[in-house]
Amino acid sequence: MQTHKSLVSKYLLTLAVMICFLVILMGFKNPEDTYKPTRHTVTIFKMKFNPENLVVNKGDTVVWINKDFYQHDVTELTSKKWTSKPLNQGESWSKVITEDIKYYCDLHKVMKGTITIAK
Amino acid sequence: MKTKMNYKLIVICTLVMGISSLMMAQDTPPLTDPEIASVAVVANQIDIDYGKVAIKRSKNKEVTDFANRMIEDHSAVIKQAVALVTKLGVTPKDNAVSQSLMTQSKETLKKLNSVSKMDFDKTYIDNEVAYHEAVIGAVKNVLIPQAQNSELKDLLEAVLPALEAHLGHAKMAQTKISK
Ligand SMILES: [Cu+2]
Repeated sequence: MQTHKSLVSKYLLTLAVMICFLVILMGFKNPEDTYKPTRHTVTIFKMKFNPENLVVNKGDTVVWINKDFYQHDVTELTSKKWTSKPLNQGESWSKVITEDIKYYCDLHKVMKGTITIAK
Repeated sequence: MKTKMNYKLIVICTLVMGISSLMMAQDTPPLTDPEIASVAVVANQIDIDYGKVAIKRSKNKEVTDFANRMIEDHSAVIKQAVALVTKLGVTPKDNAVSQSLMTQSKETLKKLNSVSKMDFDKTYIDNEVAYHEAVIGAVKNVLIPQAQNSELKDLLEAVLPALEAHLGHAKMAQTKISK
């Protein structure tokens, strides 16, 4: 038969083990798991993507906002894999970045930009 | 072949005339803001008119996409210009530069409407390259330096990068259709 005292100490021991385990787990946690995705803004103004070349972390979101009174779009450069469709003044469009991208404005083909994932 | 040569000569002549008339405008008394507003509206309207002909006459998507973009963007500029003059309580005033632009554009429109279907794309795009080059020169060297009102100057400065993007786009189309 167990005494009340030994029950309490058994309980405390389990608790201590659990806390230790948790602390260890947190300590070994991959920095990528704790990384909180950020939002970056690319302003489209005077026929330019600004910044033209942007470095982000994998999983970050990039928001493009059109400040021109001309329409613009954001379109994948090499094969038009994806596009924002035309954005009017004040409109924005966002994309989660999972790979390096090269893009351009399909309406004004000379406007170009890149997003690169930080190594 | 001979008519093509003649045609090229005519284009070059009208352009030289056009540019020199704009250059002469630098020597004459500066344009007033209402006159600059008129030049801006006329210059944009001219490119819209060229674009409309292209949409009617061209079967090349490269060309019709470009023409549609010209119509959209130059209409957007006119809209901004009208909003600004309305806000400032200014009425665009006709002047020698606006008139000479109009006269030249009538000639070009005649050409665009009469050139054979086969030669249309090249004629239109070549003219777009030349026209944007001429207008960039005029905005940079005449209109911006002479504009008094700061908002009018700002608008002209916002138009410049668009004209340059259009020129680059036109040159891309030019290489593509000449292949
Ligand atoms: Cu654009």
